[in-house]
Amino acid sequence: MSVAVADSPTRAAPRAPHRRRINGRHLLLQLVLGVGALTMLMPFLWMVLTSLKTPAELSQFPPTFLPQEWAWSNYSEAMDAAPFLTYFRNSLIISITHTLITVVFGAMAGYALARLTFRGRDLVFLGFVAMLMIPTYTKIVPQFLIVKSMPLFGGNDWLGQGGSGWLNTWWALIIPGGLSPFAIFLFRQFYLSLPKELEEAARLDGVGEFRIWAQIYTPLIKPAIATVSLLTFQDSWNNFLWPLLVTTRDDLRVIQVGLAVFQQEGTTQWAYLMAGTTLATVPMVLLFLFAQRYFVQGFTASGIK
Amino acid sequence: MRTTRRYVGSGTALALATCLALAACGGSSGSEGADGEITLLTPIFEGSTGKAVLEGELIPQFEKENPGITVNVDYTDYGSLNEKLTTSIASGLVPDVMMMGVGWIEGFADKGVLADLGDYDLSESSLSETMNEQVLQAGEWDGKLYAVPTMLDTRYGIARKDLLAEAGFDSPPSTWEELRDYAKALTKRDAKGKLTQAGLDVMTLDPRQMFEVFLFSNGGTLFNEDGTAPAFNSPEGVEALQYVVDLVRKDKVEDIGYSSSDADTYPVINGRAAMMVGHNDYWVKAQASNPEVAEQLVPFMIHGTQDAMFQGGTLVTVANSSPNKDAAVALLEFLTDADASLAANEQRGNVPALEDLLASDYVTSNTAVQFAMENLDNAHPEGGVPAWLEIRGDFEAAIQAALLGQKTPQEALDGLAASAQEAMDR
Amino acid sequence: MTSTTGTTTTARQDAAARTLPVPPRASKNTQSRRTRRTGWLMLAPALLHTVIWIAIPVAATVVLSFTDYSVFDRPQWIGLANYTEIWNDEVFRKATLNTVIYTFFTVPFSMGIAVVIAVFLHTKLRGRSIYRAAFFLPQVTATVAIAMVWLWMYNPQYGIVNAFLSFIGVPGKAWLADPSFALGAVIVVGIWQGIGLKMLIYLAALQNMDESLYEAASIDGASPVQQFFRITLPLLKPATFFVFVVSVIAAFQVFDLVYVLTDGGPANATTMMTYEVYRSAFQNFRMGMACAQSVVLFMFLIVLTVINRRLTGGDET
Repeated sequence: MSVAVADSPTRAAPRAPHRRRINGRHLLLQLVLGVGALTMLMPFLWMVLTSLKTPAELSQFPPTFLPQEWAWSNYSEAMDAAPFLTYFRNSLIISITHTLITVVFGAMAGYALARLTFRGRDLVFLGFVAMLMIPTYTKIVPQFLIVKSMPLFGGNDWLGQGGSGWLNTWWALIIPGGLSPFAIFLFRQFYLSLPKELEEAARLDGVGEFRIWAQIYTPLIKPAIATVSLLTFQDSWNNFLWPLLVTTRDDLRVIQVGLAVFQQEGTTQWAYLMAGTTLATVPMVLLFLFAQRYFVQGFTASGIK
Repeated sequence: MRTTRRYVGSGTALALATCLALAACGGSSGSEGADGEITLLTPIFEGSTGKAVLEGELIPQFEKENPGITVNVDYTDYGSLNEKLTTSIASGLVPDVMMMGVGWIEGFADKGVLADLGDYDLSESSLSETMNEQVLQAGEWDGKLYAVPTMLDTRYGIARKDLLAEAGFDSPPSTWEELRDYAKALTKRDAKGKLTQAGLDVMTLDPRQMFEVFLFSNGGTLFNEDGTAPAFNSPEGVEALQYVVDLVRKDKVEDIGYSSSDADTYPVINGRAAMMVGHNDYWVKAQASNPEVAEQLVPFMIHGTQDAMFQGGTLVTVANSSPNKDAAVALLEFLTDADASLAANEQRGNVPALEDLLASDYVTSNTAVQFAMENLDNAHPEGGVPAWLEIRGDFEAAIQAALLGQKTPQEALDGLAASAQEAMDR
Repeated sequence: MTSTTGTTTTARQDAAARTLPVPPRASKNTQSRRTRRTGWLMLAPALLHTVIWIAIPVAATVVLSFTDYSVFDRPQWIGLANYTEIWNDEVFRKATLNTVIYTFFTVPFSMGIAVVIAVFLHTKLRGRSIYRAAFFLPQVTATVAIAMVWLWMYNPQYGIVNAFLSFIGVPGKAWLADPSFALGAVIVVGIWQGIGLKMLIYLAALQNMDESLYEAASIDGASPVQQFFRITLPLLKPATFFVFVVSVIAAFQVFDLVYVLTDGGPANATTMMTYEVYRSAFQNFRMGMACAQSVVLFMFLIVLTVINRRLTGGDET
């Protein structure tokens, strides 16, 4: 349903005469991108290779590149070091709910800030952006206190006194980090770049504002939804400090807290750490490959592919 | 809580400040819940072995010995211990029993967070029957006992017997002079001048701890007797830092950047250094990666004017706000007793505080731990003043500045002492 | 706010708009009222969430910055004392300078590289999805793994950086241990790590682009480079504004990378503002000071954002 659909199929034609030259350039381009991609790939590769080395090999000098002996058992041993299945499930629940909350409410807010004119809108927008500018480390104590003082929860009275509030509950893990101004900001920018004609036409047809948002504009920003989902998921997947602080029970802990087991004071079990980290990265790589479809979709729609 | 101060919140119309103050001061109830339920915050059992030991053996045993008490364990690691403590103290939900490191006690005791164990018949004199007095120091503040050690970790000299023998030395150096001569003789460079074997590796250990080893071995102390002023910039301290700086800058026994505290492995283990100032976990590490090398590693005391090693460790404390202090103290005694202490140390490869355990299988089978235990008379814990946690973070930059030649040892330590004094006076 | 009645009102108005032929003027008024209501309504959940979980903590940060708050005791009002201490604090000054330098180099370089790569990967190119995945990978790779690899690459003894330099006859350096090079070495990693996210956002933005504009340009005989500067960049303005603002904020708050690469050293050569905030809050137990340092950081970011809006006209397309 992209706006570009109608005109695009003709686009390739005028370029045809240049094809030879472009091919030559493509070779150079492939080379540059190839080298670039390889540099980007290195750490990931190194992580995987390290996860397959024995402690003896890891202490060798100079370090080896490929494992001399592929220690696949590192994976099962690392997995035994903590209840990773529980941690994995918890992380998954938190990341998925964060992503859902963010996509729905973030898109709504972003749309309002981009396409609906009302007084105070710009101020609200700047307010959202400003909220990103204070480092986590000073916000975290007040946030903790709010969680602890949540009225009528965890033995608290209506003033939020006396009990432990949301501490040690799923609420604390899900709600405070559920929505970031970052997502709202990104959605706003994407709604902003869409043409005005669509909403005007829809309004003339008497379509309600909610439906304009849900049925006309939002389907057009699938790449943005994919982007925000990916980044939100990744952010909450990697979160370490907050889940550690607001829980004391092991059955509410998350995967990054589990991985910290391998980095004890002064002693890092590199092979296990890298094995665990590799496994923890898999869901995100899968998610990226899945989300890619939505980037490619743009091409399909405009008929270049 | 102190009441003589002018509060924020009452004056300001901001509801949020009130909100915060309410939250900050409201929850003095400690850990709520049924009678006999206590919380333990620990940074040393977070691994799978640790959890299995603590929850599979120790806690059930404790709960059996103390019917009616249930223990909830909150696992963390040392890297996030301060964040856990900060938020729990700010919210008033302080765990009943807390484990913390050497150097933490003074500050927390001074702020009234920790319970005076003297009220529960625990004192230095009673404990010194089973533990070394040097080691008990770390749990004291202002003449009172607030914490009991369960696990120690020590830093001292480590030498490669085989590499020493190659250079004609048959035993580790016994004085600073010898250490220096050995280090110079053991330093190897290739034709291009690239360092291939450091004579003495002083860069793998955290710079502060490394300096402290030399400071203590030169008869220096961190603070003066009554804890009112820094003493690490005394002539002994400056001499100690000068000694290390000379080793690196004049004698070139190790190049800047040759190793660092995040090195994957100790240079003495893979043969890149002949000696090091290091942690007692070298033995466990060497066993894991190369048992033959482990046989070649020998511990030794650094000796300036006296034998000395640096000693850190984990101590058990009880929260002053705990509604269930008797149960909390019982858990403290249990955790610092022989069984629990041995189990804790075994899973971390560390040094038990109880002198009886010197004869245990675990200690006799671990050279590094045995050496540390035999030398506890020469152990020096760090800390001593409430502001220590604030001061210790500044050491790294100052020591590095001296090693890089940006500042003389005197300047570096004087600068550090000035900021330390500010923190102490605050 | 009209959050309780909003939905029904809008629904009713929808119906009204559909059935009743209203005079143009009145319609405009109804229209603007309708948009206003819908606007606030759609904003409400996000606004509520942000006020509770971020605005209040931010306001608390500002208030606490005027106090001596150790967490152990109640906050004690001390006026501007934290700020005067910051002003005279050499280490924080060093951290501020480092942060500004870090931001000044990482943001433009990684943005430039990211936009060019995004444009390339937007074209019909063999293996493009593999490239995309590769360039995005550092974004999902754990920071400890990234640090481990770079520590290895920068290693003065056996790292490939020095190996390459010695191959071309340049003497190697102890990159992360030498105060003259450490910040530069950290910046390179920062640029490298920042490309993935920015590329992803640019790629997503390029999907929304009206392709017909390129056609017109092609017919006019504009070269690909001219097209890039005349059409692509201007159309990417909203995305660029976002990427810039977010990258500057992220660069000013860089922490993990420095923590694992250099720990702020050697001799404070790579210490950053957020690093000092962290130290004040959780090592020194000086929450009030940490808040004041955060407010200083906040001021820098506000000023930079305003300057950016002034210079580029923000994101008005």
